[in-house]
Amino acid sequence: MLLKLGILLLMMMLVYLTLFNLSSQYILVKKITRKNFNSALIDLRHQVREADFVSVDLEMTGVTTAPWRESLVFDRFDILYLKIKDSVENFAVVQFGICPFCWDASKDSFIAHPYTFYIFPRKELQFDAPAYEFLCQTASMEFLAKYQFDFNACIREGVSYLSRAQEATALSRLNSSNQDDESSNEGWRLKEGGDAELVSFADILFTERMKERISQWRNSLLSNTKGVQSEENSNDLNAKFQTVFFKMRPSIRLDGFTSRQHRLIQQVIRKHFKDLAYVRTVDDKYLKQKLVVYTDSDEDRRLLMKEVKTELCKGAELKVNAAVGFRHVVDLLSSEGKLVVGHNCFLDIAHIYNKFIGPLPSTVEEFATLVHKEFPFIIDTKYLLKADNVIKNLMKRNSTSLSSAFLYLCPQLASIRSSPFLAVQSCVKVEVQVDDMSSSDWNSGAKHEAGYDAIMTGCVFAQVCSHLGVDFKSSPSEGLIQNEKLQKYLNYVYISGRDGAIIDLGTGKEFPEPFDLYDRLRQRNKVVFQNIVVLWGFHSNFKPKDMKECLTKVFGLGSVTSVYYLDETAAFVQFSKEKFVSDFLTVKESLEKANDVISVVHPLAKLLEGGKTRAAPYEAYKEICSSSASQILFAEQAETVNRRQKIREVEFKHKSGSEESCDEMQSTSRHHLPFEELIDVCSTGSQ
Amino acid sequence: MRARLLQKRRLCTLNQQRQQRRCRQRPINQVTKSNFAESLQSLKTHIASAEYIAVSTRKTGSFAAPWRRILPFLDTAETAYLKSKDAAERFQILQFAVCPFTVSESKVVAHPYNFHLFPRDELNVGMPPSYSFSCQTSYLTYMAREGFDFNSCIYDGISYLSRVQETSAKNRLGKPLGGIYPMKSSSTHSVADSLFLERIRARVQNWMNVCKDKKDIEVPEDSLVRSLRKLISFLGVELHGSRPCMNIDVCNERQVQLALEMLSKFSSDLVPLVIPGKSGEPQAVRVVLTSSEEDKNLLERELQDAEDEETRKIRGFREVIDAISSSQKPIVAFDCLHEFTFIHSKFVAPLPHSMNEFMCSLLMVFPHILDVNHLLKEISPLKKASNIPAAFAHLRRRFSIPIDMEIPHQAPDGESDNHGHHVLLTVNLFAKLSSILKTTHAALTDFPVNDVESLESYMNIFTPSSAGLPEQPKEENVWISNTAKVSTEDLVFIWGFRQGMLAEQLKSCLSGTHNVFSEDFDVRLADKSCAILVFWKPGLAKILLDAMDSGSVGCDSLRELVSEGLKATGYEAYKRVCSLGLWETDLADSFDRSLTEQLQECNKDADCGKKAMEVYWSSDSINLDEL
Repeated sequence: MLLKLGILLLMMMLVYLTLFNLSSQYILVKKITRKNFNSALIDLRHQVREADFVSVDLEMTGVTTAPWRESLVFDRFDILYLKIKDSVENFAVVQFGICPFCWDASKDSFIAHPYTFYIFPRKELQFDAPAYEFLCQTASMEFLAKYQFDFNACIREGVSYLSRAQEATALSRLNSSNQDDESSNEGWRLKEGGDAELVSFADILFTERMKERISQWRNSLLSNTKGVQSEENSNDLNAKFQTVFFKMRPSIRLDGFTSRQHRLIQQVIRKHFKDLAYVRTVDDKYLKQKLVVYTDSDEDRRLLMKEVKTELCKGAELKVNAAVGFRHVVDLLSSEGKLVVGHNCFLDIAHIYNKFIGPLPSTVEEFATLVHKEFPFIIDTKYLLKADNVIKNLMKRNSTSLSSAFLYLCPQLASIRSSPFLAVQSCVKVEVQVDDMSSSDWNSGAKHEAGYDAIMTGCVFAQVCSHLGVDFKSSPSEGLIQNEKLQKYLNYVYISGRDGAIIDLGTGKEFPEPFDLYDRLRQRNKVVFQNIVVLWGFHSNFKPKDMKECLTKVFGLGSVTSVYYLDETAAFVQFSKEKFVSDFLTVKESLEKANDVISVVHPLAKLLEGGKTRAAPYEAYKEICSSSASQILFAEQAETVNRRQKIREVEFKHKSGSEESCDEMQSTSRHHLPFEELIDVCSTGSQ
Repeated sequence: MRARLLQKRRLCTLNQQRQQRRCRQRPINQVTKSNFAESLQSLKTHIASAEYIAVSTRKTGSFAAPWRRILPFLDTAETAYLKSKDAAERFQILQFAVCPFTVSESKVVAHPYNFHLFPRDELNVGMPPSYSFSCQTSYLTYMAREGFDFNSCIYDGISYLSRVQETSAKNRLGKPLGGIYPMKSSSTHSVADSLFLERIRARVQNWMNVCKDKKDIEVPEDSLVRSLRKLISFLGVELHGSRPCMNIDVCNERQVQLALEMLSKFSSDLVPLVIPGKSGEPQAVRVVLTSSEEDKNLLERELQDAEDEETRKIRGFREVIDAISSSQKPIVAFDCLHEFTFIHSKFVAPLPHSMNEFMCSLLMVFPHILDVNHLLKEISPLKKASNIPAAFAHLRRRFSIPIDMEIPHQAPDGESDNHGHHVLLTVNLFAKLSSILKTTHAALTDFPVNDVESLESYMNIFTPSSAGLPEQPKEENVWISNTAKVSTEDLVFIWGFRQGMLAEQLKSCLSGTHNVFSEDFDVRLADKSCAILVFWKPGLAKILLDAMDSGSVGCDSLRELVSEGLKATGYEAYKRVCSLGLWETDLADSFDRSLTEQLQECNKDADCGKKAMEVYWSSDSINLDEL
């Protein structure tokens, strides 16, 4: 016996070999689908509890629903959030990478457990919840395909989930449907109308037949209890109505009837058999079952109904609980209150909130408050890489993208030997623990697989911590969260892919970049939102050059600070003074009303050509962004929103006195829109 | 031998379910990126010899909420179209099955192909449908259960551009290499023009002299020397393929014109090509020197081929659509409104706003369309069948029509895929129905007609079916069977009652609350949040609406209901909801949104009420056949 145990232990030790460290070529990541989810959850619970920090990364089916929904230089902080919100509400998360890191003092190294969860919002509950729908951006799907994403594993085997909000509605719906069941179990409460009308001859016949059969069954039952053996006597009716026992009471199962027939049977029972009860329930396999049960007395009947009801509730709650699925992982992350590390993770956090907790609120401040409650400690490694001067010097001119930071900072893990900094700096050791290699649940990690990205993020974080002088050894008890060296990085997150906008999740406020990035800062400060007009619907050949030309003709040289095209159908025009905004709108309106010579030769005539040119102050842009409509072209989007709720080109009253910033700005034209010659302006050379 | 014979002629008389299942295992040509070119060729020959072409598609979703399905008791052609339009714009086609076939007597010869599609924005057109598309998880789950291979679809699916996208892409990318450039005879030359002309003329002259010199010393030589020479000459003279060429840099359209003009006068051996830059603006004119007239023709043909190749790459799968369209053969499909809104929006152009415009535009591309669903409705015993399995079930009960299906080609070995079998079921069903219709037709007219002619009268009529989500539980119809048309004016939508109420409960709640309910009326649920009242006597609907609009509701009990939250509106509001695309999950929410927005508008816009009245009186009839 002891020997056996010893061997078992030995085997377990052998199996529990640590595979990867300095010498290995690739990192193994555990792949989780619904097949192995439950066992993985048990492991993960333990690992997260032990962890010093947990890194996460998500893969989605898309990022932007339209080209103009990408984050633009002219997007105000609140609008950046609206764009993220739109993205999150439309796209699905298909992979969730999570990697708990735990410091092992004896090995002087971190132990990491990377997981890639394939998740898919399958509709597990059959309640009448709306059909789930999500968007796929073809470019993103191709991107995933490029990195060998397994779509089959995701759709066929992905772990499903319910957000807390969905769970709550499912439970309440359940309760109300149980109440309905109860009321129908106890018969119709309604006066006359409750009865199903016997609309056809067939119905009447059926009702009569059922009455007869049920009473036969009941009679045979009663005579049985009186001791008269009529078992052999059973005719073919009993072949259909087999007596079964339900909660120790004799009953018959009603199989193979249509719902209308069920209704009629119910009616028969109610009208003619006081001691029989019609019961709906579910069996062990959660299949719906309908029975007619014999009860001894009214008291017995009440008892039975109560029993059935609690059972139904319990069963349904179990079912809902099972449908919660992957959300258990997020709940775990939140309840353990661990430090969560992500790279450029605002979009990830928003997805996590929306998919697993509840709908996103309409303002960024509310969002920050809600997120802060769930995840009070978040670190964005992108911010970390940029915010500290030591690290910045170290990174030199390297890109802060995850993979290049990983290659540069953790060469020993990326199995590249010749790093300039291996010699100078000490490397944090990270071991990936792999149990039970024999199973086929392992993916050899590759870039843009969520689990692999998560472990890269964690490694980068650990390495940066060590550069910042965070001592993992000394403070295992109080944890990294309390470490004073990390305090100034906690909860500062880049809000979008674009540089420059950082949110403090503690307050929900925009956080000015504290570090130099001199020209970018200048660039952002130069955008004066109340000086901006949004224009759309103009002629497609109308180039930015023309736009500027015709506007300066009216308002004078230097009146137009910059022109920026959102896409080929719409543009931002920033004037040098706020007054020009209302002036422009007034001139435009009057030109559109007047139908005389002046309106034809007016410099703005070219802009208004076609009569579909619309203009609105910046606030309208916010309204357009917050609409759930998703048109690919901005002009169409604006028109859709306009049709739904007339955006009025109202004068925009506000205090004047904003500084005039006459420097013009290079608009960062997006890759696929050939607007190089956007504006004839000086370049800030930030890119 | 016998086995081979059997293999050769796979017979399938589809009058029994067992055989239907066998039909699923028939070989259907599965086409992906890799075998697209050759499959297209063979498909084209089959289309040419076929009588009909059946199509059927596999989509990523259909109608998102119960009321957004096409409801036969609720939707006019217009609202049905708007609902289909919304679905077609949202979702994507992942598989497109095409099956050219011929019918003679009871024998059908079919050539089924199943194309796997995945749109890629290869040219960065950035417009729908290739920017993004929506998926319904229930659909994907259902497809996964059927063994759909999503990896192969996304990795190897054939891409495509619609006709409108192609034009727009071409505009943006500029003329592809060697495109025929429109020549405008320019009138006068400015000084700058003349300078430019002189400069390039000198350059071209110079370059031609060099080339000619090289050619002169050309003597018979072996291939090694020739390729060496090619290498060396490459240092001095650029080559376009095997021919020498030179580039003339240009800054604008004007210079392109000048260069072309000059070259056309210069020498007949020169072929000009306009090289577009990144943004589509011309960047340079490439001059290619040909050795003779023959060689010039050869080059021009090469260029044409290259352009064709380029176009083919751009169009991708749409070549199939174009082939079907140009064949002008009748197209057979089940639930045509749904199928063709998809086809139109993905392969032709964005969908227009009204059904009429849509039909016009569609019939320009596909002049003859036969809706199997409509044929079903023409045969009275089959009226109730709203999907293919139901239709087969009804057919089995009433008719005995053996159909002999032959699929001559063999799919490659080892391919056990049965994707796209739906198209074969459609073909089979169509064959049966047309044989029934032909018999009745012949009995009526008394003289023989051919197949296509006998079906002429059923052409281009779409009957939307209510086949919806696969997961939808089949609710039983308690509706009194009644065949009647009712004007949309006699319909009233009500919502705001307790959810989960049944139609009959609702009816009993309502009756007695107002005088109008003393007349005959019916209640039907559009979804769990909203119901439709049908008044069989005209005018009552308006009385009810007026009563509920004016605060002074005549009856106390009705007022009671209204104060509990009951709301009502006419059919116009429903049309408005559909045309504005206020697609909420619950119809009640859509109505509420529509009404609040209308209210806002009215406040801004004083004459709104008048407009509303005008449209209010336009009435449509909707078919209550299906009730």
